[in-house]
Amino acid sequence: MHDAQIRVMVVDDHPMWRDAVARDLTEAGLEVVATAGDGAKAVRIAPATRATVAVVDLQLPDMSGVKVTQQLLAQSDPPRILILSASGEQQDVLDAVKAGATGYLVKSASKDELIDAVTRAHHGDAVFTPGLAGLVLGEYRRLAAAPAPVDDPDTPRLTGRETEVLRLVAKGLTYKQIASRLTLSHRTVQNHVQNTLNKLQLHNRVELVRYAIDQGLDE
Amino acid sequence: MDPAGTIPPQTAEKRAYGFEVPLWRGIAVFRIASVVYAAALVMQYSKTLSHPVGAWLVIVGMGVWTVFATYAYAEPARRSWGLVAADLVITFACMLSTGIVAGEDYLAVAPPLTATWFGAAPLAAAVMGGRRWAVAAALGYGVCDTILRGEITAAVISGMVLLLLAGYAVGYMAHIAAEAEHRFAQAVELEARTRERERLARTIHDSVLQVLAMVQRRGTELGGEAADLGRLAGEQEAALRALVGAEHRQTSSTTTTADLGALLSIHSATLVTVSTPATEVPLPAAGAAEVDAAVRAALANVDRHCPPGTRVWVLVEDEGDTVVVTVRDDGPGMAAERVAEAEADGRLGLSQSIRGRIRDLGGEATVTTAPQEGVEIELRVPR
Repeated sequence: MHDAQIRVMVVDDHPMWRDAVARDLTEAGLEVVATAGDGAKAVRIAPATRATVAVVDLQLPDMSGVKVTQQLLAQSDPPRILILSASGEQQDVLDAVKAGATGYLVKSASKDELIDAVTRAHHGDAVFTPGLAGLVLGEYRRLAAAPAPVDDPDTPRLTGRETEVLRLVAKGLTYKQIASRLTLSHRTVQNHVQNTLNKLQLHNRVELVRYAIDQGLDE
Repeated sequence: MDPAGTIPPQTAEKRAYGFEVPLWRGIAVFRIASVVYAAALVMQYSKTLSHPVGAWLVIVGMGVWTVFATYAYAEPARRSWGLVAADLVITFACMLSTGIVAGEDYLAVAPPLTATWFGAAPLAAAVMGGRRWAVAAALGYGVCDTILRGEITAAVISGMVLLLLAGYAVGYMAHIAAEAEHRFAQAVELEARTRERERLARTIHDSVLQVLAMVQRRGTELGGEAADLGRLAGEQEAALRALVGAEHRQTSSTTTTADLGALLSIHSATLVTVSTPATEVPLPAAGAAEVDAAVRAALANVDRHCPPGTRVWVLVEDEGDTVVVTVRDDGPGMAAERVAEAEADGRLGLSQSIRGRIRDLGGEATVTTAPQEGVEIELRVPR
């Protein structure tokens, strides 16, 4: 796959940020195919732009980034979603990732980190920050501790290795450092991280379907 | 009693929400109904009156005062102690006039001319000044009625008891109303404060924080002095965000438990990343404060012993019966045996400020380090 095929849509209500992100990406040779200042517009124009990655701010004037993520992913051939957010919105970040966002980056991240993240998101690789790893670890522990379905086979669980890898990500180690510390390949580390996210997103979809059936929405 | 000193604040507060308005309205209705009842009694027993014309004049006087009092008490601004005093004086005067214009024959078959109308003034006094006024007025009624009849009869006792009970109940209700109004005022004020805070948080988020974050990002890219400015902007952004965001996370935290996640999130800065679960990590407040102090000590250590630009990651994990906080830096680290050495020397602040604190909480602190591998301090604290 070539970076030239990366088509980015930038969704942010602050013109200052929207322009800065778009400029950085363009300078790096990525194609910014559209920008949107609100969620409704983003959802409306996404199919026509054939964007491969949508960089979405969590706080939009008309709907939350979580909702934008859900609606974009409901379209056919949707873009990968990279959530860009200020820190301190943990629950929203977690919800967006559970809804299917490929990754999360803080707004203060550098230009190189942004370009790297967009490129990785384009290839479908989970973009994990230490903050997101902490959130995902917390979510698995919350699901495990939840009283209702004690031995529910659907409740996602982390393997010992996955927990180990996630904890190291949360402590700020790079994949390369993790690989050398655990004597794994870089790709294996990446797969473990990806798996933790996939299981959570699958569980989220199962829960949504179960909820829909309970509410009689499937009829 | 200093009427001027005690009343204004109370009336000022009452004016704000009018919790006692129904009480005043109730008294007005009671007064009007009672004057009609008093007139009916005089009409029914007119044959026993010693001075019918005098008695009717008293009833007309009561009617006039009823109209005036209803008007006067309707507005909070006109409810003064002077008005209540005049009300009481006129009421007692009307009642005592029974002895002159009605006579013993009338009193043998009916209550004093004022009948239930007498109750209105003591009730007004009870609403203004509390239960004690109602009790005093009831006792005054008893004394006057006894004087009128020349002896303590069953009628005197029952009238006094009824007045006592009614006055006491109304005074108590007025007290409750004042209390409720006070609480209501507090709740309204709190809500207004919260709303204002949220509005400020939104505004700050939409403007100042965005600019600070942008300065940080651009500054870092430009390098040199601009990078220093960017770092400062980033630190201020994190501090400001923690300040305006703190309120949101503290919803279920009380004075006895604290959310360790929120507490430690305050340390996030350009070089410090704090990762927590999305949900609260409740810990007894005292314990949380100790863990926070230990984390501060660990961060201070990095500041003191590592080169500038060393990054730190703080991870908060909730394992149910244990809370784990890890502080890791990417500084130069050191050989494992040097940790023990440093501790023996009392350096690193490890012994007291970190290990001591965590041990006091029944937990343990583990230090892992190697040259070029940074230092990782894991704090495990039982719930």
